Amino acid sequence: MSTPAVSLEVQLGRLRLANPIMVASGTFGYAREMAGLVDLARLGGILPKTITQEPRQGNPPPRTVETTAGLLNSIGLDNDGIEAFIERLLPYLAGLGPAIVVSIAGRTADEFTQMAARLDGLPGVAALELNISCPNVSGGVDFGVNPTSCCGVVEGVRRACSLPVLAKLTPNVTDIVSVAKAAADGGADAISLINTCLGMAVDWRHRKPRLGNVLGGLSGPAIKPIALRAVYQVARAVDIPLIGIGGIASIDDTMEFLVAGATAVQIGTASFYRPGVSIEILDALPDALTQLGATRVADVVGTLDVETK
Amino acid sequence: MTDKQSSPTYADQAWQGVTTIVENVQLARDTYRVRLRCPEIAQAVVPGQFVMLRLPGSNDPLLGRPLAVYDVLADKADGAWGIDVVYLVVGQMTGRLAGLAAGSLLEAWGPLGNGFPPLPAEHLILVAGGIGQTPFLMLAEEALGRRRFGNPPRKTPLADRVTFCYGARSKDYLAGVEDFQRAGVDVRLATDDGSAGHHSLVTELIAPAVEQSGPAVRRIVCCGPEAMMEATAAEARRLGVPCQVSLETPMACGIGICFSCVARIRDASGNWDYRRTCVEGPVFDADDVVF
Repeated sequence: MSTPAVSLEVQLGRLRLANPIMVASGTFGYAREMAGLVDLARLGGILPKTITQEPRQGNPPPRTVETTAGLLNSIGLDNDGIEAFIERLLPYLAGLGPAIVVSIAGRTADEFTQMAARLDGLPGVAALELNISCPNVSGGVDFGVNPTSCCGVVEGVRRACSLPVLAKLTPNVTDIVSVAKAAADGGADAISLINTCLGMAVDWRHRKPRLGNVLGGLSGPAIKPIALRAVYQVARAVDIPLIGIGGIASIDDTMEFLVAGATAVQIGTASFYRPGVSIEILDALPDALTQLGATRVADVVGTLDVETK
Repeated sequence: MTDKQSSPTYADQAWQGVTTIVENVQLARDTYRVRLRCPEIAQAVVPGQFVMLRLPGSNDPLLGRPLAVYDVLADKADGAWGIDVVYLVVGQMTGRLAGLAAGSLLEAWGPLGNGFPPLPAEHLILVAGGIGQTPFLMLAEEALGRRRFGNPPRKTPLADRVTFCYGARSKDYLAGVEDFQRAGVDVRLATDDGSAGHHSLVTELIAPAVEQSGPAVRRIVCCGPEAMMEATAAEARRLGVPCQVSLETPMACGIGICFSCVARIRDASGNWDYRRTCVEGPVFDADDVVF
């Protein structure tokens, strides 16, 4: 049931969204795939699959394997490169309505800034998300595990373009708070938490890894507690908005992330097994906010009570 | 071939929702047929397309499973109202599915994938290994002019003859043979242990079937284990008969958004790239597949 008195708009630094329900990069193709299953225009934001400077073939199959309440993947940033994206995919995305947040991954800091400069000012690009956390390619994950390199990449991208910048961080670090602080210091508009958790699956009878690339990133309901923990810890340490990602598959999951400190969320793996889930969550959001006496999303963000028993 | 990032067979006609199991019966060893009430899928599906089925509300197993549509149920009053899916119990999801009684609910989305193209063939030769037979009944019914599928019903050139070369490990794994015979199909069996039909690989049945129809326009379609499809593709090439294969790759979503289900597919220049089986397939020209 819709509650007209509730405003769903959210502000992520310089990026304004009509509502806080986004779909995560790498779990929604390039959106065109979902046109028959999801009312794309209603989403708060769409993150197409990560693009790289050059085309990438991706990793050999099997690229995914299901584990208990989760999905392990080693896709390997299979994509046709930034120029193919701009020429063939962006025009469609630009006409959809929601904020298009383009996820980019560079092998070097320079490549990140070159891609940011190339996308700057193109119609339809609302913001960038820096994928400095993909566990499946060498050269990407390194930026997100070190505060200094993370800060440097974000700074470089900020200088190279006028777009709002989201930094997507990996949970595969000793101290995610220090990396998040570095992203904020570098000028990120918001921080996306979290990318997948590095994991593996083994077929002991054949003494073989189940993934073609041996190691992969775990997503789905299994990692939700890890993502919630990251949002909670980072929310207490930085002043910029956070985007919760990790196992979100229902309105309850969404509200947990908002209360823990996220201003918006991204729906990821759940779209694989419930294609229309993002709109189901959006439909349920006004009522859930009303249950907490909120009239706007910001009223509940980071309101977790850890003091009183 | 389209580029990697677009496909004419996105899930634009797909329906998603909760379906009711009308019937769930064992057909052969480890092999079951589940009948689902889902008019939206039944009216839209064409031969060779698949559906994703998932246990409602379950986080373990978490994902849906891609399964070919075996047949469409229709009656005069309601038109097409349901689908049959024939499945082999291989793991946790299909194991649980086999235990579900009539009246149980399943989540479903589909129809998905390109299906078999309606190409002309006077003699259509279907080659299946094991559970790979499931997409072929509808194709045979359509080619023989007994049924039409899709919304609007698609037009397809008719065949004079349909031969079904069906191989299995042993007699007790053979499922649905009488369905094909009832549809007017010439069924030829092969088993690994000789317990039914020829004591040989199913691929050894292809050449005799092809030779039987003389100078006719022929076409081979194949579905089964990868080694068997590779052997069929080689045999088709040797015999000079066009061949399509329906690939079975592990899928997480079935709708083109995860990039898991890739196969190595050649383009016009002969180079290969990973392509999504769910939205660019599952049916490919055999010569385009790098096995």
